[in-house]
Amino acid sequence: MKTLAIFTIFVLIFGTASTSLVSDAYAQNDLNILVRIAGQADTQINNQLTTSYGADRTQWPSDIESLYVKGHAAVESISNSLPDNPEQAKKDFLIAMKSFREISKILSEPVTESKVTSSDVSDKHLSSQLDRIEKYVKTLKTISEKHGSDVDFVQVDILIREARVQVDNGVEDPSETIDQLKRLINSIQKEIREYTSHGASDRVKQFVNKQLDNIERKLVKALDADADQTQIDNAYQLIDEIRNLISENQIDNAKFVFHELNKLLKNIERSVR
Amino acid sequence: MEQQFVPIHRKESLGEDGMLFVRNDGVIDTMVKVPLLVASVIIVAAIIPIQSSFSSPRTLDLIIYPDGSTHVSTEIDVDSLASDYELELFGNTIDNLVVVDENEFLLDADVLDDYALIGTFGSSVISVEYDIHDLVSKQGRVWTFSLDAPSDFTLLLPKNSAIVGMTNLPIDMKLINEQNQLTLSRGQTEIDYLFSTPTIFDPIEPIDTTSKSDYLLYSIIGGVVAAIVGVIIAITKTKQKTVKPVEEIQTIQTKQKDEIIDTETIFKLKPDIREDDKEIVKFISNNGGQVLESELRKKFLQPRTTMWRAVKRLERNGIIEIEKKDLQNLVKLRNDMEEEE
Repeated sequence: MKTLAIFTIFVLIFGTASTSLVSDAYAQNDLNILVRIAGQADTQINNQLTTSYGADRTQWPSDIESLYVKGHAAVESISNSLPDNPEQAKKDFLIAMKSFREISKILSEPVTESKVTSSDVSDKHLSSQLDRIEKYVKTLKTISEKHGSDVDFVQVDILIREARVQVDNGVEDPSETIDQLKRLINSIQKEIREYTSHGASDRVKQFVNKQLDNIERKLVKALDADADQTQIDNAYQLIDEIRNLISENQIDNAKFVFHELNKLLKNIERSVR
Repeated sequence: MEQQFVPIHRKESLGEDGMLFVRNDGVIDTMVKVPLLVASVIIVAAIIPIQSSFSSPRTLDLIIYPDGSTHVSTEIDVDSLASDYELELFGNTIDNLVVVDENEFLLDADVLDDYALIGTFGSSVISVEYDIHDLVSKQGRVWTFSLDAPSDFTLLLPKNSAIVGMTNLPIDMKLINEQNQLTLSRGQTEIDYLFSTPTIFDPIEPIDTTSKSDYLLYSIIGGVVAAIVGVIIAITKTKQKTVKPVEEIQTIQTKQKDEIIDTETIFKLKPDIREDDKEIVKFISNNGGQVLESELRKKFLQPRTTMWRAVKRLERNGIIEIEKKDLQNLVKLRNDMEEEE
């Protein structure tokens, strides 16, 4: 017994120690990215400030200049703190990013807002919308292939290409193509759902039958614990109804009644506690 | 001389009357308690991950598109005995919601505000994908991503975006198709990013995080490797000992000096160059247009990474070029500089 206890304690201690070793090594890897992110932000903010106010720092607004000096010094300090003082490096990182954040907030006040043109945003929006649709279609293709369905994606691919060209050229309005694409994707999703419904029904049937057996056992226990007889009777009625619906392959209705049964079962369990 | 060994423990264990005294009042307690304690610890250790595994995302990956919409994909362990699962969404403007189980069966999901009621019916793992428009806001040129994440997650930022502020420490950062992917901790996170200037990704020199105890081992290995490399270089040099005439070297150096563009011209061609970078350019120019990076570090008292970054910045601006010389970086002013657009 003593040996077993010592062995178990040893395993636990070793397990704990090894975990901390792993996380320590993991934390050490992090340090590179602090320098990298803060360095990028420093360069970016510097570029923004130079564009807005010129390269001569004396021309920068004093509040922005002092924030930049603080942030830049913190970035330099991150490099200097590593590898000996990771905690200081982390503090410096947060100081730097906070300073740059404040600068970017000041820079994005209405004065500079006009620099982003509406056409840029519109192009980005349409292009992003297409990206999202493409990703969605890819997911549907994966599901379709997995179930071996013969859903045809050729027309979808053609429309995506067409819309992409329209977005890139900026001559034709791609909205109509995108709407067409959306309608087609909706019908494809329905098609896939119908194709996989047989397998899904089997899965639901299997689950519900298994759960109904469990619920019946719970009802017997509830009856022994003096639960309300009327509620128990109602529960049995619902069970019969679900079994009938499943035998008639009315899966959606069965699912609905199953939810009702679960609610009732919760009430019964609460009443006997 | 005969040595007499006196067993210390035995001597201490003897009572006043010379009888062996064994302390046994805590033995039974200890025998019972230790296994109980150990069993408790094991049970607690085993239960913690089980408790946290249900209904918490296994994975959570986010992709931000250039228009600020975000694609969310997550895998969640769900109770296989439950008929449905209520998923808290990250907002209520949801598009393209797809939920599948571990067998790639499409599951029914009803979205109610920022919740989705998913009919799991025996599934133990569900994969959820959707697009959301609530996570990124824009003020002026600054885009802000904000999320209270239920678990650690990855975030892929759009192309040509550059982070200009964040509220907490990242766990990791990778470059995927010229896009930054951050790994972040659970909890509230805010990240500001901009689009304007294309981001240039500096391959930062790895920071030496070696523990001091490893230094001896590494220095021995390094010494051996250096010795081998040294011998190889020496042998190679002996074999290829063809010295250029002194006159020829002088001619090349004079030619190089003539071709160096003066700093004023450089600063006119590149008006956006940083003040600290101008000092570096002046120093290189004063040194005949070329200098070792290590000399720059000594001159400006800068750490290796900082100076390396400055040099790379100048290289990107087309002001200098970097050549390898005896395993060192030789920084040279370019004489074919082009005006900034």
